[in-house]
Amino acid sequence: MLQEESDISLIIAQIVQKLKGSNLYAQLERQAWASLQRPEIKLESLKEDIKEFFKISGLFPLPSHPAAPPEHLKEPLVYMRKAQGSWEKRILKSLNSMCTELSIPLARKRPAGDQKELLNKWNEMGTDEPDLSLFRPVYAPKDFLEVLINLRNPNYENGDSLSFRTHLGLIQVPLKVKDIPELKECFAELGLNTGQLGIDDSTQVPPELFENEHVRIGQKVLAEQDSAAAQQYIRQGSPTALRAELWALILNISSQPEDILYYEQLKTNVIQHDLLVDSLIYKDVKLTASNDDYYFVFEDYLYQVLLCFSRDTSVLSHFAYNSASPPKSYIRGKLGLEEYAVFYPPNGKILSINFFLSVAPLCFLYHEPSKLYQIFREMYVRFFFRLHSISSHPSGIVSLCLLFETLLQTYLPQLFYHLREIGAQPLRISFKWMVRAFSGYLATDQLLLLWDRILGYNSLEILAVLAAAVFAFRAVNLMEVTSLAAAEAVLADLSTLKVMPLLQIFLFATVT
Amino acid sequence: MSRVSVPCHVKGTVALQVGDVRTSHGRPGVLVIDVTFPNVAPFELQEITFKNYYTAFLSIRVRQHTSMHTPAKWVTCLRDYCLMPDPHSEEGAQEYVSLFKHQSPSMTFPKWLSHPVPCEQPVPLLEGLPDPSRVSSEVQQMWALTEMIRASHTSTRIGRFDVDGCYDLNLLSYT
Repeated sequence: MLQEESDISLIIAQIVQKLKGSNLYAQLERQAWASLQRPEIKLESLKEDIKEFFKISGLFPLPSHPAAPPEHLKEPLVYMRKAQGSWEKRILKSLNSMCTELSIPLARKRPAGDQKELLNKWNEMGTDEPDLSLFRPVYAPKDFLEVLINLRNPNYENGDSLSFRTHLGLIQVPLKVKDIPELKECFAELGLNTGQLGIDDSTQVPPELFENEHVRIGQKVLAEQDSAAAQQYIRQGSPTALRAELWALILNISSQPEDILYYEQLKTNVIQHDLLVDSLIYKDVKLTASNDDYYFVFEDYLYQVLLCFSRDTSVLSHFAYNSASPPKSYIRGKLGLEEYAVFYPPNGKILSINFFLSVAPLCFLYHEPSKLYQIFREMYVRFFFRLHSISSHPSGIVSLCLLFETLLQTYLPQLFYHLREIGAQPLRISFKWMVRAFSGYLATDQLLLLWDRILGYNSLEILAVLAAAVFAFRAVNLMEVTSLAAAEAVLADLSTLKVMPLLQIFLFATVT
Repeated sequence: MSRVSVPCHVKGTVALQVGDVRTSHGRPGVLVIDVTFPNVAPFELQEITFKNYYTAFLSIRVRQHTSMHTPAKWVTCLRDYCLMPDPHSEEGAQEYVSLFKHQSPSMTFPKWLSHPVPCEQPVPLLEGLPDPSRVSSEVQQMWALTEMIRASHTSTRIGRFDVDGCYDLNLLSYT
């Protein structure tokens, strides 16, 4: 075998190994057997035909080069890895200084009495009123934005003085982002000639025209448990009644008894060990979620999911493709001894302020805690982690910021220039929307329609497109403001926006 | 036949520029890297592996000795192979690349290859039936893979994050 071939074969073997036992594996096996019966499949050239198909279709990323070290797989660009490392160090220092100031350990065993109390109160942690005044969040999105703004490619010459080569926005790294023609191709199903939930199900449109048929197809997809078809289907939006099941199908979540047991184990871990970050989570949810009009009802769920999330070591595996790395610590008194090295928190993720916004919308769909937890975890390791690390990935936050700025600059140049002139760089306003995937800013039904498309297109780029579309929608008002504060005010309330018409108009109905 | 890496000497880059280096201000877009194989017996080159750093297009030329009497000749093995689809953006800028012998369009191979292998001809099929040796080698490969899978244990992570029940931590470590 050529070395190239044997490397690919090894990777395929590893993928098969990982899929084994899952519902998806059984589906694939059934499909494979069915396909083999077809006359047009030639057994002798099957391997080559499949390899060729992979290359041409571009559906699967090619296996990574055998010489590439693990850090290259996390993030290929060295300067981005370095920036991520520095950012992480800042977070570690911030957490350590909080520990030292407050004389509280990072983690300790919870006394037996406290354990019992927590177990009793598990479903109503919101009623607790501990003193959290001394705790402060480890970092906020705007700190992260400053780091992204200061990212520089050492090999890229833009010159220190403003010239025609400098980017006019805040992001200065030359990542490849799509333009509107490419986005139109990518998001073809959002076009004017295709039915959409969020547009063609409004009260003025008779349901026979689109909605009824779309619901029927959705029911069929669910009946056949076809994950790939569900992903394609949901690009046109999901009917409310089918959404929970469709998302579970696309994310390959099926609540097996072992999943419920696993969640119970996580709960036990929360009860047994008290972590400093628990207080930070608690304070964050208490201060913000409990006052939020949409999310306050889910306060108790949020504590449960986030506390369990912090204990979940299965999340560690996503660091293979996340440019971030989990923080390390040593058991007390065993500093430097590798056999006592652990990750902190156990899932390797220190949460930023308002992280609960990634969980809250899911509470509308899933009421059983272990299922809610599984769905959230899968959404995190597939999509949301990209909003919190520095990487060159097309769905990473850096690319989204650059995509947003480029779209605005290219298609709304007057608005972009005006906002820059008055000291209101557009990204300073839209960053908080994108980093939270618009949770907490849009009305819930609109948010869920947006997240339908994230799942359908397996990409976060739609967040940047929506951000640009919002600016386009309010362009007339924005052209009249003369300060950053006034611009913020124009864009403060997005709760009345309808996302699908905005996206459709921006992509398909604007004269470019 | 196992693969062995061949020791080579990679010289520093030389910029190709028209005009006087001292007076012209432009940054040259073409750089040349010389690779020599000192003190090595003739070998069959299968693969060249390197890590890219912002090179957009690559050409490879080899110097070929045909015989003792004729002077050495330069042959182009690869011309303008694209490493970065958009040179102004980061795509492909720092990727690991392998170039294989069969990618070279040149039919003749330099004499420093001891056993030059001609281009593979497609195996002729016997009247619609697959070639038995090919099928058997494919089946053997698949069997080897299934053995590999069976041998490695399915490891379902139990998810312990503590050390012997203890998870008392003071501070985070920076290393």
